[in-house]
Parts: sequence; C-alpha cells; structure tokens
Amino acid sequence: MTVLFIGGTHQGKAALARALYPALPLAENLHARVREELAAGRDPMALLDTMRGCAITCDEVGCGVIPIDRADEAYREAVGRLCCAIAAEADAVIRVTAGIPQFIKGENPCT
Amino acid sequence: MLVLVTGGAASGKSAHAERLLCDRAPSSRLYLATMQPFGAAAQARIARHRALRQGKGFETVERPTNLAGLALAQHYDGILLEDLGNLLANEIFAPEGAGDAAFGSVLAGIAHLQDCCETLVVVTDEIFSDGLDYPPETARYIAHLAALNRALAARAEAVYESVCGILLPLKGEGNA
Repeated sequence: MTVLFIGGTHQGKAALARALYPALPLAENLHARVREELAAGRDPMALLDTMRGCAITCDEVGCGVIPIDRADEAYREAVGRLCCAIAAEADAVIRVTAGIPQFIKGENPCT
Repeated sequence: MLVLVTGGAASGKSAHAERLLCDRAPSSRLYLATMQPFGAAAQARIARHRALRQGKGFETVERPTNLAGLALAQHYDGILLEDLGNLLANEIFAPEGAGDAAFGSVLAGIAHLQDCCETLVVVTDEIFSDGLDYPPETARYIAHLAALNRALAARAEAVYESVCGILLPLKGEGNA
C-alpha cells in the first residue's frame, strides 16, 4: 500500500501518517529528496519506484509565483510531476491543513 | 458555459482542463494559447501541452494579448484558454499589452470568447501561497490575477482545483 500526504509545510503531515498508517514505513519530506536528486544530476522521477509501499509526506510547493531561478523552477516542476505520478498509483492521497486530513483519494482507514 | 480550472505548478490542471472541454464540446474545439514562446522553459512547456492535445481534434490559435479583438472564423463548441496567468502577464508587461488597463482587457477578452463558443474552459494558476514578498509590480500582478480568479469563479458554472493530478470540485458539478 502506498499513501501520499501533501500540504503546506508544518501542517502535521508526518504525525498523521504515523497515526493513520502505523504499519507503513514513513518517507518524509519528498520535496527535499527531489532537491537532492536534482543536485546530484539524477532524474527525481526514479523516486516513484523507491516510494512504493510507503507513507510519503511532501510539501505542496507549486502554489507560488514562477521562481526567477531556473533551478528553483525545475525543482518545483519536478516535485509537482512526481506527486502527480505517485498520486495516480497511490491507494490514498491526503491533503493536510492545520493538522486536519482531507482524503482527496481513497478512504480514511480509521473511520 | 464557463468552467474554471485552477492549480499550482505541475499539478495536472492542463490535462484535466482538456478532458473537461472534450467532455462538453462534441466536435469543434479551439485551443487558445497565450504563452509567448520566449526561452527554453516556455518552449518545453509548449511542447508538452502540444503532445497532450495531439489527436484530440483541437485547432490552435496563439494569441498573447487583446483577446477581445480576436476575430474567429466560426462559432466553436468549445474553447480552451490556457492560461489566465500568462495572459495577464502579457497584458501588463508586454509592450503591446494593455498596461494599466490589463484587468479590464482580460475580462473583456473572456466575455468575447464566451460569445464565440458554447463552452469556455479557462485554466488559471494558484500563485498565492508562497508567503514571499515581491516588488510592487509583481505584487500588483498577483493581486490582479487573484481578482480575476474571484471574478471568473463567481460567474462560472463550475470551478475545479487540481491537486497532485486529482481534480477537486470547488463549485458546481460535483462529479468531474
């Protein structure tokens, strides 16, 4: 099973991931891993394979003005595309705001 | 009918907007592209959007400014306008744009497009949550785009937000 928690930074995504999916390995801060992959010259889309079977948390980083720095723009684009690909496969996608989970795909396992 | 599709960068909104238009417009479909093809990033984006549209029966017209003055040869079942953020930037910042009259020019252009088709789908950008301070001209652009989104959402039959490729209904039609 793969689940994706998205939302703004510091919204309680990881705490919810631990509470709702205690059996799944937690992969936190996918956006930071994308940044690392790009810095190392690797294709971040390869993370799609390594993230299967995890509860993933990722900051939503696409809701701002287009960054002036090309690397920042590429990072933002890569996070968005990777999240679309993960979400398409995921069993559940949960958008977290102020610690409150909204299941935008799949159902809450605790209700 | 007017449908508004919003979303952050790389959130999958273009693909959803196309599908929404194709579902509603049985045959004649126009893709109205507003992006000016300057720079490698813009060209990559244009190529990606072209690939998405391929085989779906869209005519394409490129029009970076002054939509109200656009003469179309026919009445279309559907027009897909992509996208509002670009159009507003062109009107404000491009030499041939409307400058201080950008906001009204964009609204007049949208009204004109609605007269030219049965269903108008407009793609816009969620650029309002990065919490950064910008120079006055950028801040004004952000405020104007937000005002356009509010104005169009108020008159739209349906409004959606794309999040990680998942289409969330914000107004109107519950099931996309």
